[in-house]
Amino acid sequence: MSARKRKERARSASRRRKGHYKKLLWFRQPFPDNYTDEKTFLDHLQRNPRFRPYEFWSLMASLTVIVQHVASVVIFCCSFVAIFQERVSPVSVVGWASFCSFLAWVLWDYWMGLEEAEVAPDTGKEADGKEGASGGSPIPPPEQGGLDPTTPQTDRGRPGYALGASASSLASDSSNTSKAGVPTMTPGSTTTEDLLPYEEPASSLSPRNQQRLATVKSALLIYAALLGLSPILKSLTRSTTSDSIWAFSTWLLCMNVAFFDYSSGPGAHLPASISTNSALMASTVLASRLPSTTHVFSLSLFSIEVFGLFPIFRRQLRAKSPYGHLALTVVLVTTAGGSLFVVLTGGGRVAYIAGVILGSLFTFIAMGVCSWWLIGLQKYKNEIYGPWDPARPIIRPRWD
Amino acid sequence: MPYNIAMVSDNFYPQPGGVESHMYQLSSKLIDRGHKVIIITHAYEGRTGVRYLTNGLKVYHVPFWTIYRETTFPTVFSFFPIFRNIVIREEIEIVHGHASLSNLCNEAILHARTMGLRTAMTDHSLFGFADAGSILTNKLLKFTLSDVDHCICVSHTCKENTVLRASLDPSMVSVIPNAVVAENFRPLSHTEASHRHNAPGPPQRLGPDEIITIVVISRLFYNKGVDLLIASIPRILATNPNVRFLIAGNGPKAIDLEQMIERNVLQEKVLLLGPVRHEEVRDVMVQGHIYLHPSLTEAFGTVIVEAASCGLYVVCTRVGGIPEVLPSHMTEFAAPEEDDIVAVTGRAIVKLREGKVRTDLFHNQVKQMYSWTDVAERTERVYDGISGALSYEEFYPDGGTGLASRGRAGVRSFALIDRLKRYYGCGIWAGKLFCLCAVVDYLLYIFLEIFAPRERIDICKNWPKKVVKEGKGKEKEGDAATAKEEHGSGRKKRPHHRREKREEQGES
Repeated sequence: MSARKRKERARSASRRRKGHYKKLLWFRQPFPDNYTDEKTFLDHLQRNPRFRPYEFWSLMASLTVIVQHVASVVIFCCSFVAIFQERVSPVSVVGWASFCSFLAWVLWDYWMGLEEAEVAPDTGKEADGKEGASGGSPIPPPEQGGLDPTTPQTDRGRPGYALGASASSLASDSSNTSKAGVPTMTPGSTTTEDLLPYEEPASSLSPRNQQRLATVKSALLIYAALLGLSPILKSLTRSTTSDSIWAFSTWLLCMNVAFFDYSSGPGAHLPASISTNSALMASTVLASRLPSTTHVFSLSLFSIEVFGLFPIFRRQLRAKSPYGHLALTVVLVTTAGGSLFVVLTGGGRVAYIAGVILGSLFTFIAMGVCSWWLIGLQKYKNEIYGPWDPARPIIRPRWD
Repeated sequence: MPYNIAMVSDNFYPQPGGVESHMYQLSSKLIDRGHKVIIITHAYEGRTGVRYLTNGLKVYHVPFWTIYRETTFPTVFSFFPIFRNIVIREEIEIVHGHASLSNLCNEAILHARTMGLRTAMTDHSLFGFADAGSILTNKLLKFTLSDVDHCICVSHTCKENTVLRASLDPSMVSVIPNAVVAENFRPLSHTEASHRHNAPGPPQRLGPDEIITIVVISRLFYNKGVDLLIASIPRILATNPNVRFLIAGNGPKAIDLEQMIERNVLQEKVLLLGPVRHEEVRDVMVQGHIYLHPSLTEAFGTVIVEAASCGLYVVCTRVGGIPEVLPSHMTEFAAPEEDDIVAVTGRAIVKLREGKVRTDLFHNQVKQMYSWTDVAERTERVYDGISGALSYEEFYPDGGTGLASRGRAGVRSFALIDRLKRYYGCGIWAGKLFCLCAVVDYLLYIFLEIFAPRERIDICKNWPKKVVKEGKGKEKEGDAATAKEEHGSGRKKRPHHRREKREEQGES
C-alpha cells in the first residue's frame, strides 16, 4: 500500500515537470487523469455560432404575417356573430367574399401568366422541341415546369396549381399546402418526361386554360358538395348546448392560430394541416348553430375561403409584392378592428371608426412591444455547440 | 487497500454492447488487482437472481420492470430497499455507476450517498444541448452528479461534454479511455513468436491490380453515418476499380444500403453480411485492408481501435472523441462530407498500394496503447482519491490553481445538509425538487434502518481468492505480475485467465 503510494507520488511529481498536455488518449500523458489543461480545455466550444441580432423593422415586417392571420380569424368570428345575430345577411357576406376570392384568383392567374413568360425562355426550348415532335400535343403546364431544377425559385408558382387542387381537396379535409409541398421533396426528380403520361392527349385547350378549367371544375364540385351537405351540417350538433360549441370552437380557432404555418418558404407539413382542419371543424360546428340551410351553406363556404384559399393567396402576395402585402395587412387590421367594435358594442358607423383607430393603434403597439421584447430576450440566448454534437453530414444532391 | 466495489448499470450481459463489455472487463481486472467487485443490473429474460461469472464476479439481476430497450422504469425510490440489502450483504464501500442514461445507475448513486458510501460514475456517451430530450436528461444528470464523488469519462471530448452538462468542476472528472482485448483482435498473419523476436520485415506492397477490401462494421443507424456511406460507396468504386466493400451490421438503414446497391448494380463489389456477433467481428475485419468509419458522433469509438488492432488502416470522420483515439499514422481523417470521404478513402487506397502504411505493425502498437489492466489501474487511483487514501493535494493536482474549488471537490461530506446545499444549486425549481427527493430518500433510509435492521441481513461469504494473492499485499502483486511476464509461467496457474494474462504481457 504505502510503497504503491510512494511510487504514485514520485510519478505524479515527475509528471508535473515534463511535457505538454495533449488531447490524445493513445499514449500515457505525464499528467494525472483528472488533470485539466486550461489552454486546451473546451477550446472547440462555440457559443451562439449562428447569432444574428434581430432588427426592429424587419421583425415588424415579419410580424405582419401573424397579424394578418389573426385578423382574418377575427373577421371570420365577427362575420359569424353578425350572421348569428341576424344583423348581416349570410348571402351578402359570402357573396362579397366569393367576389374577393374571384378577384384574387384573377390576380393569381395574371401572375401565372407572367411567370410562364419568365420561365419559357429558360426551360421552354427543350419542351418546345418535344411539343413539335409529338405533333402539337400540349406540354405540361408551366406551373409544373417550375419543378425544373434550373428554376427552383418558381416553386412559388406552384400554389397556383394548389389553388385549383386545394379546392377539391379541402372538402376531404386534406391539406392543400401539403399537397403543394410534396413535389419539393424530390426536386428535379420530376422532369418533363415524367409528367407526360399524366396529360390528356386529345385536348384542344392550352395548358393555362386547362388549368383554369380544372379550377372552375373543382370550385363547382365544392359548391355542389357543400350545398348537399348543408342540411346535414345544420342538424349536426342539435343535441349539444351552445355553450359547449362556443368553447369548442374557441379552442379550435386557437389551435388554428397556434399551428398555422407562418413560414414563407414553399412546402408545409403536418402542423399546417392540423391548423386548416381545426379551423374547418370550428366553422362546421359554428355553422350548425345557424337557423337555415342557406346560413349553413354560406358560412361553410366563407370559412373555406378564409381558411383554405386566403392563406395561399397571402403567401403568394407576400412573395410577389411587399407593398401589396403591407396594404393587405392594413386593410385586414382595420376591417378586423372595426368589425370587432361593431360586434362588441352593437353600434354603427361611429363604433366602426373608433374600432378602426383603436384596433390599428393597439395592433401597432403590440407589434412594437413584442419586437422589443424579443430583441431584449436575445441577450439570454446561450446555444452551446462543440465536438460532441452529432455532425451534420453533407451529401451532394442526386439528379438521377 | 482493497475495496469492495459495486458496479451498477441497466446495461449488462446478456445484452451485447460497449458499456457491457467495459463493465465486465474493468470488473475482472479489478478483481485481479485484489478488489472485490459485484455487478448490479436488472433481470433479463432468462437471466434472474444471482450469478457468478468468471473469476468470481458476482452479478445481481434485480427484478425490475423494463420499459424501453432494456432501461428500467425510473421510480427514484423503489430500488432502495433491495439495493440497501445488497450493499449491506456485500459490505460495499464504493458504488460505481455506468452510463448516464441508465436509471439504475442514477438511483444507485443517490441511495449510496444517502447510505454514506463513496460514489463514482462513468459516462460513456455524448449529448447535445439543444433539443428538449437533451435538456431533460441533462437536468437529471445534474441531479445525480451534483453529489457524486468523482466522474470518469472515456475521452476528453466526453469530459468536456459532461462538465458542461452537469456543471461540474473539471478536476473531479477523470479521463480513462476504453480498451480492447488485443488478443481477440489479431491480424490474420500474426504469430506471437515471430513478432516478438524478429525485427519487422520489409513493408508489404499491394500491386495496382490487387483487390483492396474496405470493411464497415456498424449498426446501420443514422448517427453512424450510413447516409454518408451510401452516398460515397458508388463514387469510391467508380474511381477505384479494384476495390470491394464488406459491410456487416443491421439496422433501419439497411434497406437504403440495399437499394443503393441495386440501383448502381454493385452486387459484385459490395457484400452485405448482415448482423455479426461481437466474437465474429475479428474474422470479418481481417478480411479487409481498410476500415471505414463514417460515424456522425462517437464518444470513444472502440471499433476503430479493434480495426487497427486487426491491422486495418482506418479511415474515419473527425467527430466527437475519435481524433483522440489513434495516432495519425494509423488513421486518415475526413470531414463528415461525402466529397471528403471519397477523397480521403482514395488517398488511403493509394497509400496502401504504395506500401507507405505499415499495417503489419499496428497490432503490437495498439497492444501498447490500450489495455484493460491499465484502465483498472487508473480507475483504482480514482477509488483511492474518493476514499481518501490519496491526499487531497495529490488527487487534485491543480487544486489551488483556480479551476478546482475545494468546496465541491475532494472527499465529500455525507451530512444531509451539505448534500442538500449541493442539490439546491441545481436550478430554481429543479433544485427544490431535488432537495425534496434527497430528503424523502433519507427518510426512507431511516425507515428501513428501523424496520429492516442491519443485524438481520446476512453478510455473504467472499469468493475464495487465489492463494498467491491472499498472503501478499498489493505492491507484491505488481512484482508478481512482472515476474510472470518475464517467465510466462503464470498461465498454468490461472488457466481461465489466459487472456488477461497475455494482455498484461503486452502492456509491459
